Amino acid sequence: MTAQRTDERDNERRRAEHEPLLRIENVWKSFGTEQVFRGIDLEVDRGDVEVLVGPSGSGKSTLLRCVNRLTEIDEGAIYLDGERVTDADANVNELRQQVGMVFQDINLFAHLTARENVTLGLRRVRGFGKSEARDRADRELANVGLSDQVDSYPAQLSGGQKQRVGIARALAMDPKLMLFDEPTSALDPELSNSVLEVMERLVEAGMTMLVVTHEMRFARSAADSITFLEGGQVVERGPPERLFERPERERTREFLESIYG
Amino acid sequence: MIAASSTALPLETVEPIAAVAAEDWLFVLDNYEYLLAGAVITVALTATSIVLGLLLGFPAGAIELYGGRFSSGVVRKAGVAIRGTPILVIMVFTFFVFPLEWLYVLPASEPFQAAVLALGVRSAAYQSQIFRGALRSIDPGQLEAAQSIGMSKREAIGYVLVPQALRRSVPGFQNEFTIVLKDTSIAFAIGLGELLRHSHDLMTQQTTAALELFVFASLIYFLLTISTNRTLDYVNDRYAIPGEG
Ligand SMILES: Nc1ncnc2c1ncn2[C@@H]1O[C@H](COP(=O)(O)OP(=O)(O)OP(=O)(O)O)[C@@H](O)[C@H]1O
Ligand SMILES: [Mg+2]
Repeated sequence: MTAQRTDERDNERRRAEHEPLLRIENVWKSFGTEQVFRGIDLEVDRGDVEVLVGPSGSGKSTLLRCVNRLTEIDEGAIYLDGERVTDADANVNELRQQVGMVFQDINLFAHLTARENVTLGLRRVRGFGKSEARDRADRELANVGLSDQVDSYPAQLSGGQKQRVGIARALAMDPKLMLFDEPTSALDPELSNSVLEVMERLVEAGMTMLVVTHEMRFARSAADSITFLEGGQVVERGPPERLFERPERERTREFLESIYG
Repeated sequence: MIAASSTALPLETVEPIAAVAAEDWLFVLDNYEYLLAGAVITVALTATSIVLGLLLGFPAGAIELYGGRFSSGVVRKAGVAIRGTPILVIMVFTFFVFPLEWLYVLPASEPFQAAVLALGVRSAAYQSQIFRGALRSIDPGQLEAAQSIGMSKREAIGYVLVPQALRRSVPGFQNEFTIVLKDTSIAFAIGLGELLRHSHDLMTQQTTAALELFVFASLIYFLLTISTNRTLDYVNDRYAIPGEG
């Protein structure tokens, strides 16, 4: 009994020390005859920010979607906090609570106010009471600079404001990991800034993030590492300084030049 | 000019027609209570059928779209069969064949029960399509966003898709309401004393009043249509999503 408990604690410690928060292991995926992934490996440590880049159609969105199982993988495994979340019997809804997702096309609940967008998950998934959920939602919305807009409906908000509600909605679930799929690419450049600022603050707060973005400034300042995805594989991975200044692969240099000029 | 027209239309021929018409209008007015009693049945039949159609149709639409292969197949085929059958045939079936005593909950005459069942089930077959179309028109990103915060598909449908689809169903529902209202007149065939039946009863008493009776009945159908459409317009505006459309 005692020995077992010590074992468990040891395991936990080992896991905390060595296990990355997110581990993607030899993932294969195809849509029909189209092979999107041919053995992807990627690890993201706690508190790290991984930026994912690659040409259109290289599977960046698909990889994020595989992590929270909006898309199922064909082969391989994905671990969150040491737990194999791609197992058929893993609890998908629980996994998704632990992984926040921010979409390119934002997808706010169109019939709900900003506040209700945040409280819905708190109430229905986390079981918060009404006033408790409201307080939490207002706090999350204040953190993204939207205290004045809590009662606005999505159609009454600017793109940047909507995306910040989207972030607040995800953060309210207290996720361990945040996934961002080109959160600013649908927005005007002036509107992107407010979203990027929120993301930068999240980085400072120590959130673990996997971010698909072509925002050069964010990638340089916030990323611990950048992964270049192409042809169903990780072509190259490294810290931004190295990848931008001295990429190992010619293909990486070409790609980064093509998007950052 | 004036002289020419008075020769073309002498007063003697105008007067008798006017006199006859006035008499027939008086007949309509004398019997307005009987006609309104028919109108009340029409309204009751419309309302009950629409509600039955809603209760059966909206879940059917959701099952057809999200149900398993078996349940959605059954619902879809039943819908096709019902939509492909003339309402008169359905009503004759519910009246003469269907064991109405199964519906002992309804405190109404047999023709009324048969008519409600026929109109309600037929309306359900159409309302299911209105609702299914509305559900399908909603961006799939809404479902994914709900699932991404940990909702089950069922919860996501219930809390996110259905409320939006209900709003989008109002215009189609408005149409359906008008159709059901007008089709209540089919219940004439199984002897239900609704508005058209009562107009017809009176016509057999005074055949010269046929036109007046049917103008009057049409006017009532028209007023009912207008007022329900106005009400649903109001509902549509009242529940519109702020900032949209
Ligand atoms: N549900 C799906 N069904 C079929 N094919 C799909 C599906 N989702 C993605 N694909 C295909 O998989 C490939 C990868 O798509 P994905 O959207 O992940 O690329 P991406 O890197 O995010 O591209 P972009 O930069 O344009 O967003 C594409 O060729 C796409 O057509
Ligand atoms: Mg993408």
